[in-house]
Amino acid sequence: MDVPRIVLGVIGADCHSVGNKILDAYFTEAGFHVVNLGVMASQDEFLDAAVESNAGAILVSSLYGHGLIDCEGLRQKAIERGLDKILLYVGGNLVVGKTPFAEIEKKFKDMGFDRVFSPHDDLTEAVKLLRQDLEDRKR
Amino acid sequence: MKYQPLPWKDFLAQRPAVLDSWPTGKDVASIDEGLRYQRGIPESKNFAKAMAKAKAAGRTLLQPRAGVALIDDHIRLLRFLETEGTADLLPTTIDAYTRQNRYEEAARGIEKSRAAGTSLLNGFPAVNHGRDGCRMVTEAVTKPVQVRHGTPDARLLAEISLAGGFTSYEGGGISYNIPYAKKVEVGKCLRDWQYVDRLIGYYEENGITINREPFGPLTGTLVPPFISHAIAILEGLLALEQGVKSLTLGYGQGGNVLQDLAALASLRELADEYFHRAGFDGYDLTLVFHQWMGGFPEDEAKAFSVISLGAFVASAGRVEKTIVKSPQEAVGIPTKESNAAGLKATRQVLSMMMDQQICTDNVVIRRETDLIRREVDSLMSAVFAAADDDLVQGIVRAFAGGILDVPFAPSIYNKGKVLPIRDNEGYIRLFAKGSLPLGEDIMAFHKERLQERSKAEGRPVTFQMVTDDIYAISKGKLIGRPK
Repeated sequence: MDVPRIVLGVIGADCHSVGNKILDAYFTEAGFHVVNLGVMASQDEFLDAAVESNAGAILVSSLYGHGLIDCEGLRQKAIERGLDKILLYVGGNLVVGKTPFAEIEKKFKDMGFDRVFSPHDDLTEAVKLLRQDLEDRKR
Repeated sequence: MKYQPLPWKDFLAQRPAVLDSWPTGKDVASIDEGLRYQRGIPESKNFAKAMAKAKAAGRTLLQPRAGVALIDDHIRLLRFLETEGTADLLPTTIDAYTRQNRYEEAARGIEKSRAAGTSLLNGFPAVNHGRDGCRMVTEAVTKPVQVRHGTPDARLLAEISLAGGFTSYEGGGISYNIPYAKKVEVGKCLRDWQYVDRLIGYYEENGITINREPFGPLTGTLVPPFISHAIAILEGLLALEQGVKSLTLGYGQGGNVLQDLAALASLRELADEYFHRAGFDGYDLTLVFHQWMGGFPEDEAKAFSVISLGAFVASAGRVEKTIVKSPQEAVGIPTKESNAAGLKATRQVLSMMMDQQICTDNVVIRRETDLIRREVDSLMSAVFAAADDDLVQGIVRAFAGGILDVPFAPSIYNKGKVLPIRDNEGYIRLFAKGSLPLGEDIMAFHKERLQERSKAEGRPVTFQMVTDDIYAISKGKLIGRPK
């Protein structure tokens, strides 16, 4: 069976490194091939890594509140790079100030993200969704 | 070890390039203009004086974290925190773009924040706002204000913010690099911080005391006290070397109360010992305790409890200052009301505890202080041995060799081989020591304590246990027990 490939990283000028190390360990353990960019990854680094590794999904983390600024245009750039079918996930503390999650989710979905996660989502659930979404994209 | 300040001519040789790195730098070309401005600031707004007074009175001062993109909004926020929140000391937290010297992105963040009618930056972009913008902020409040950030190259920010009326500056060449950056060389960052400390030393020589606070908690994630203590003491030595006189060393709450009290007691003692041994005198040492820096519960009632436990330890540990969290910590940057609520909760505990003396002289705390002391001494002597009389060189070599190693840090110059785990009582111990130069007797104790937990939980000590511990407090417990 093909090992599904994913690109993981913390976007922008964000240096929150703890969750990134845990996500890396968790998704690796769950059977994914993880290309981990670590912290402070630019949009181009995400896309370069996705092209090079032929990844099915990009998992973007943002913990410091600049999520909206840092993620803007990622979907368009992905399309320009020929990554038409790539899944874009985003999760973390995505905006400055307490905001209802539904509002945050809508903003990021409008920006072209396929799924949006809060800090309290369960990782087992995320793995399940990712597998399902990757399967669906193949069809 | 030889301690000598950066020669003033070397400082001045660097300075034009620092000031040229963003247009607002030219406004602070005259250091003397900045000094004159600082002389006009009332004593009640000098951070160093406030810390010294708290020490003499045996009081614990409260300080929040706060910063937004626009000057007017930032002033409103700080005023709210000093009135409604009764903060004793104010912060100005700097945004993450400025911390990486990405001033153009900070400029875009300012514009977008104006357009959005809300801050899209996670802090105050002080370099972009420049000297006069900083003065508007520091003049608008009645309490001393500190720059709090996470900037590896903080030279321009220091020049602008000190000339702008801030009287305390957080950070250090290790604590603002290893946990805050990915690819900044250890030696480069240490030298950039020598510049910052030398600038503050120059202010000191000219009669203006600026408080300096190395960032104690590092990654804020299960950092054993001895690792953060060794780094705090090293940064203290580097600051004193450049002429800094008001020094506040920090420690972040670990969660086990007795370990935290032992950590606070030993930090004060060890720092004084190392500073005196190095020949430094006439400095003013104070302590800051950071309320829990790891993940918080989402439920605000539960978050208040985490805050209150931290407030208790700050009080029992007799620190001069505590940095306060908000009940919205789990979702990121709090509203001003939530920030003030964290301050009020902390104030309530501190006031109730004010006249009580908690006995910290007991057999367990002595066991822990003794352990921390032996661990810190092991690291410090290995750093000194690697130094060849040059402390910067010693620290560079220590990170390269894993003599210093910060758990979970993002820097590629940090080995990242140290793994901490809680023992069966919640003390932070070492599961993997990496290349830390710790003796067999010390490691045998860590191992024995972890075996106890392993037995109690009926599972081996593994990375899963580390992960469970990292999320435990956000899920309502101290120790990450299996379900």
